[in-house]
Amino acid sequence: MTDNEKRRADAQTAGDSLVAKHVREDPFAAAFKATRMPMIVTDPNQDDNPIIFCNAAFERLTGYAADEVVGRNCRLLQGPNTSRETVARIRAAIKAGTDIAVDILNYKKDGSAFWNALFLSPVRDNDDKIVYFFASQLDFTNVKSREADLAAARHRAEAEVAKHTEKLQTALSAKTLLVHEVDHRVKNNLLTMASIVKLQARITQDQDHKRILMSVLNRVEALSTVQRKLFTLDDVSRFDIADVAREMVTDLVGAIGRRDIRLTHDLQPVYVPAVKATPLALIVNELVGDAVRRGLSDGGGDIHVVVKRLNGHFLIRVEDTSIPVEVDDETAEIGRILLETSVKQVDAKMEKRVEGHHTTVDVTMLVEAPQEIAN
Amino acid sequence: MKVLIVEDEMLLAMELENEIEMAGHRVIGTAANRSEAKNTFLAERPEFAFVDIHLQDGPTGIDVGRDLAAENIPFVFVSGNIKRIPRDFAGALGAIEKPYTVNGMKNALAYISAVIEGRTELTPPASLVLAEDVELIQGGPPA
Repeated sequence: MTDNEKRRADAQTAGDSLVAKHVREDPFAAAFKATRMPMIVTDPNQDDNPIIFCNAAFERLTGYAADEVVGRNCRLLQGPNTSRETVARIRAAIKAGTDIAVDILNYKKDGSAFWNALFLSPVRDNDDKIVYFFASQLDFTNVKSREADLAAARHRAEAEVAKHTEKLQTALSAKTLLVHEVDHRVKNNLLTMASIVKLQARITQDQDHKRILMSVLNRVEALSTVQRKLFTLDDVSRFDIADVAREMVTDLVGAIGRRDIRLTHDLQPVYVPAVKATPLALIVNELVGDAVRRGLSDGGGDIHVVVKRLNGHFLIRVEDTSIPVEVDDETAEIGRILLETSVKQVDAKMEKRVEGHHTTVDVTMLVEAPQEIAN
Repeated sequence: MKVLIVEDEMLLAMELENEIEMAGHRVIGTAANRSEAKNTFLAERPEFAFVDIHLQDGPTGIDVGRDLAAENIPFVFVSGNIKRIPRDFAGALGAIEKPYTVNGMKNALAYISAVIEGRTELTPPASLVLAEDVELIQGGPPA
């Protein structure tokens, strides 16, 4: 008898004697044999801790018949991709006589791999001596491959997201570049238009023509001021009408340089959609322009400009103490038409009150709630 | 004061020249690119310069600004995109954003000539963004 044969015979004997301790009707033994859970018992008191018993479920899982595994160490289930580290942990648990539950890649008799949720536990006798090790195996290859599938799907999704994000960023920077380029051209064209009008006004000898050209220039420059302010906020779709009003009135009154025209203002940020910027700027321009013209022809006066929110509405108010009579009909007419058209454009209401030398014009408009509340 | 205009759009340069002269100053030259600008300011020694950023030879206005600063010639940028100016403003006193208005330019000129003459009592006009306020316009790229 070779050593190997002897060892196998000893293991078989140990297994047989273990089974023999249980009578045929022993429900534990019957359960052990019949359960769908693959299980083995090993004998640590024999050399190399051989398997001494395996159940039918183990045979079905691994493809080994009982007589092929009895007498051999469990390492016969290991293979090329079995984790050395996991094997070492199992060995350490056996040495320490403790339970262990680990996931390990094992191999069947036909060489195919399966993921084994191994549970291994020592069995002690009354003297607390380890007499057997009991191990159960659970094939969770399906779960594992589902996990792998999920992980792979997640990686694919992440890669897609990254790819799309990159595309969007490229598109966004292209768009930003385009917006800047268009903005730059619009600004240059506005200044070129203004320059052409200025040139014509300079060449013209006729004072009436000059006056008309300056009236056109004034409106072109109102648009210029809007264009300059359009992209100053982070949110390019919004526009602070008070900011434009401030620049318009201070520039105007500063350039006139007449100490008898005194300007005060109450300007609080009112954000409006950018599409309303031009008509609103024209409203401010016409109201202030009218007050200044009357002030210039008269002995000056006080001008007070208000832009602020007023519970759900927003108000543009221009008050002045200049002579309330229009300077000349043509100038008054274009101013009136531009004002009325712009008021209509933004669906606002205009109210004018004249008391002696005190003129007040109120333009009120409903603010669009979503944009407003966001601020 | 003697003024240099660095601007590659001839019509805009011409009208700016007129506005500067209307305010009582003298334009000693107009340059459309970096080398023209350098030749002119070295030959004519202006007391002040208006510098557009986008010139015939590309966005070289910033370099023109640094050239001027090296010669201690004060200047402002005149540009449609003042966000592109580096944070240190390349030594500029400030910037006038295009499209400026006649009134805005007039007020800026009055303030600039006062500063050049050493008068500091004026408040800067809305049309002139001062270099020290540059943080307020959410800063350009780092210098």
